[in-house]
Amino acid sequence: MAMMAYDERRILDMLHEDELSRHRAFEAIVRNFSEQLYWQIRHMVLSHEDANDILQNTFIKAWTNLDSFMGYSRISTWLYRIAINETLTFLNRQKVTVPIETDDEGEMSIADRLESDPYFDGDLTERQLQEAIATLPDKQRMVFNMKYFNEMKYEEISEALGTSVGALKASFHIAVKKIEEYFNNID
Amino acid sequence: MEKDRIYKIDEHEPRRPFTVPEGYFENLTQNIMAALPEQESVYSTRITVTPWMRIRPYLYAAAAFAGIFFCIKAAVGISSRNNAAQVADIEETTIYSDEYIDSFLETAMIDDFTLYYTFVNAN
Repeated sequence: MAMMAYDERRILDMLHEDELSRHRAFEAIVRNFSEQLYWQIRHMVLSHEDANDILQNTFIKAWTNLDSFMGYSRISTWLYRIAINETLTFLNRQKVTVPIETDDEGEMSIADRLESDPYFDGDLTERQLQEAIATLPDKQRMVFNMKYFNEMKYEEISEALGTSVGALKASFHIAVKKIEEYFNNID
Repeated sequence: MEKDRIYKIDEHEPRRPFTVPEGYFENLTQNIMAALPEQESVYSTRITVTPWMRIRPYLYAAAAFAGIFFCIKAAVGISSRNNAAQVADIEETTIYSDEYIDSFLETAMIDDFTLYYTFVNAN
């Protein structure tokens, strides 16, 4: 079967057609958005396996709730919102925001976990950056990752998070200050 | 330990320090699509429309119209009865002409004093 080019209007139409068209349209959506959603999730949960599971759940949720998507927002916005909800639910459930430093009970710090992660190839500074990012509140962390690593525009982030551009700029600015402060306090 | 310099985030090029298993993104779409559940609720269990289901809305509409019709008819009936009563009253008051009343008074053996007394004590 020929690969379908991504044309949002055509895809929206196809989502309301027969089963085959619907399937093909959704496949085009997955192909177009899966990688960028993966990276958004991965930066939040850090582990590849967790990111992959959350990504799968995101698309399953989108697929099973396809009828509720009326096309009032862009498909990317809708998917981002599902992915963000899934990620935050995961973080709350698993308490991934584990202690930053190794504590008395011997829990691994994020830097230690990343060092032993086969799918992390950063140096010491990059591990410390991940630790610093992990100290941020969830939403601030999300904004920082979207802007810094995914290089999204504030307008795009605003659509995905439902937050004003001004608030996002302030949030990013505060995040940067906190991260710099974290680094400057490292012995 | 004294730090050599202050850390500034914009002096560092953003670099994604994460990797994925080989071929992960190449197979990602296929893997996601394979994991999707069947959309039974959308197509497989599409409801079969029976003749009763087809005519039901029309029957409900007809019943509603009938109800409205009877309500209007009842309201109009009450209204027309009231109108008829009013017409009857009007007819009753206009049926007696002045000449009739005058002749009635002349033959009723009522004098001016009695008329005056009647009007003054009417209320």
